Amino acid sequence: MKKYYLIIYFSLLLIMVLAAGFFIPAENILADNSNAVVMTVKILVCGDGVREGWEECDNSDLGGRSCASLGYTGGALSCTPACEFNTSACATTTSPPSGGGGGGGYVAPLVETKVIFSGKAYPKTVVTLLKDAQIAATTIAGADANFQISVSGLSAGNYIFSIYSEDGKGLRSSLLTFPISVTQGATTNISGIFIAPTIDVDKSEVKRGDNIAIFGQSVPNSEITISVNSDEEFFAKTPADKNGVYLYNFDTAPLEIGQHFTKSKAALAGEISSFSKAVSFAVGTKTTPKETPRSLKSDLNGDNRINLVDFSIAAYWYKRPISAEFSKKESEFLNGDGRVDLIDFSIMAYYWTG
Amino acid sequence: MNNTQLKSFKDLMREFSIQNLGFREKKSPIFYILNSVFFFVALFFIFYILNPRIITAAEFNLTSQAQEISVGDQFETILFLNTEGEDINAIEGKIIFPANILELKDIKDGNSIINFWIERPRSDAAGSVIFSGITPGGFRSENGLVFSLVFEPKERNKGQIEFSGIRALKNDGLGTPADVSTQPLEFEITEADLPPEESIEIKVRDYEPPESFAPEIARDESMFGGRWFLVFATQDKGSGIDHYEILERREFRIQNLEFRGLIRKILYPISYILNPLAVAESPYLLEDQELRSYIYIKAVDKAGNERIETIFPRNPLKWYENYLIWGIIILGAVITYWMIKNLEFRI
Repeated sequence: MKKYYLIIYFSLLLIMVLAAGFFIPAENILADNSNAVVMTVKILVCGDGVREGWEECDNSDLGGRSCASLGYTGGALSCTPACEFNTSACATTTSPPSGGGGGGGYVAPLVETKVIFSGKAYPKTVVTLLKDAQIAATTIAGADANFQISVSGLSAGNYIFSIYSEDGKGLRSSLLTFPISVTQGATTNISGIFIAPTIDVDKSEVKRGDNIAIFGQSVPNSEITISVNSDEEFFAKTPADKNGVYLYNFDTAPLEIGQHFTKSKAALAGEISSFSKAVSFAVGTKTTPKETPRSLKSDLNGDNRINLVDFSIAAYWYKRPISAEFSKKESEFLNGDGRVDLIDFSIMAYYWTG
Repeated sequence: MNNTQLKSFKDLMREFSIQNLGFREKKSPIFYILNSVFFFVALFFIFYILNPRIITAAEFNLTSQAQEISVGDQFETILFLNTEGEDINAIEGKIIFPANILELKDIKDGNSIINFWIERPRSDAAGSVIFSGITPGGFRSENGLVFSLVFEPKERNKGQIEFSGIRALKNDGLGTPADVSTQPLEFEITEADLPPEESIEIKVRDYEPPESFAPEIARDESMFGGRWFLVFATQDKGSGIDHYEILERREFRIQNLEFRGLIRKILYPISYILNPLAVAESPYLLEDQELRSYIYIKAVDKAGNERIETIFPRNPLKWYENYLIWGIIILGAVITYWMIKNLEFRI
């Protein structure tokens, strides 16, 4: 009997070990997205043969419609390259029988390859679209913060598009990046973009127990969630006004002495943005107002933009002993380790403006 | 009833104590089941902590569509990056291949997720390809194409294409290294089944010119002694960029008039012969530091398609400094003089 139990015991053990080996890792190789915010961005492709969203049709996919169902008496319904019904071959009246004749072919007009982005930014602010990290287009968002921006004349292939906006005070949002595979002759629509709020604080160091003002801009009348990262994470909510501006006075009493970070996200009518850039401040024994930085991180040539020029300057010193002159810039604008390596380029890529 | 149940549960708990883990005496089946569950939980945590696959890591993997590789047949190996949900904005590393078995025929970086190469993928030594580049704003995908290598097998053999010094940095503004895992490619070369003249050669059909781009003139005291330089970069979604060419010219070029048809066909080649562009790289130190020249930057892809971007001079020549204007004036004067003379003759 004892042997019998032992066999059961070891069999169970073996099964569970195998189960652990096979199933557990497979479910845990996924990324830790506990801090990630899921943003729904809808991508529609006109020309891919699948009718979706606003498209009346897409190539041969007519959605079950015909000339008859559209109120015509007959004829052949087709689809235009803009994904709208082409009813030119639909008949409106019954034609008398007649002799034959050669039919003409429908020559589809050339359709440009285009990508359209739409969503929410900040009211009446400039929205910039980057194509493969270079500025492709800019537009100004409406008073309701809605924007639409497009780029055309593209080749078929993989593109990395990025969008950012700059609020009324000159604060920039983080880059929202979209890797998109563009199809020749198709229009790709990317809607539901919600650019993260801008954020800043009024003090670089705050005396523990004093308030620190956390402010920025987002969509008008949206609800702003502010997160203050400490050993414990604190959350606060505040509404944005009709101009999208928000301000929250955070009481630092519960924070430990030391460096802290704050970031924010916005929500409106069920839509939610990703978190903004994180802004740092220190909690200490005195209060120091935050000074406006002389120039941006990674802005090596001081033109208030981080682009190919800054990249080229850094690339010039890549794997080379840096000069005394460049050493000052390296310590101020890059990571200050006395050399130019991949980390400096990563910092630059984060602050990129195009 | 409850007391009985409670007692039996206590008994079970007592049996399931550390002291009773040995098999000195007869145990109930429940004891063994609970014991198994205990070990299962323990093993679960051991697997969770020790199994390297569980750690979230950006994965670099090499894939090849060729199932069978024969001597002389070219095959393409594509380097993909799976960021595993992480935002990655900078990568670097080296690919090592057995140079005695494989000959590197081409490196294709068209359609790459990398926007700017710090070091464009290149063979730095026999059997080695180095690369480093960035994607501003970061990149998150399961199969991002980095670049591809075209090899031609030299001999029948087995081998492996592997990685060295791979790094991927997070898009967090600090350059924090991401955990990285690599998936090398094992291959086996068989005997050639086709005569050498019929061997497979990989060619890319590319009829599209490189992407439009915006070159910029800049200067910085830490570079080129503070003199003006030009930066430029673009991508080609088909075969990839082969090289760039530059021409600086103060005078107006015939191309600026954007003629079409026959005039274009005749005049443009002549103009290119008279004003050849020279191969250049970014950053390019400008010859004309007074910035009075038109600058023509031509991007050429590996299929030979071209795109030319023009930068207009910041300090253009005054009209009286332009030879073309003087040429037109002199020509006009000569014609007028000739006409007047002829008219007088007739009168």
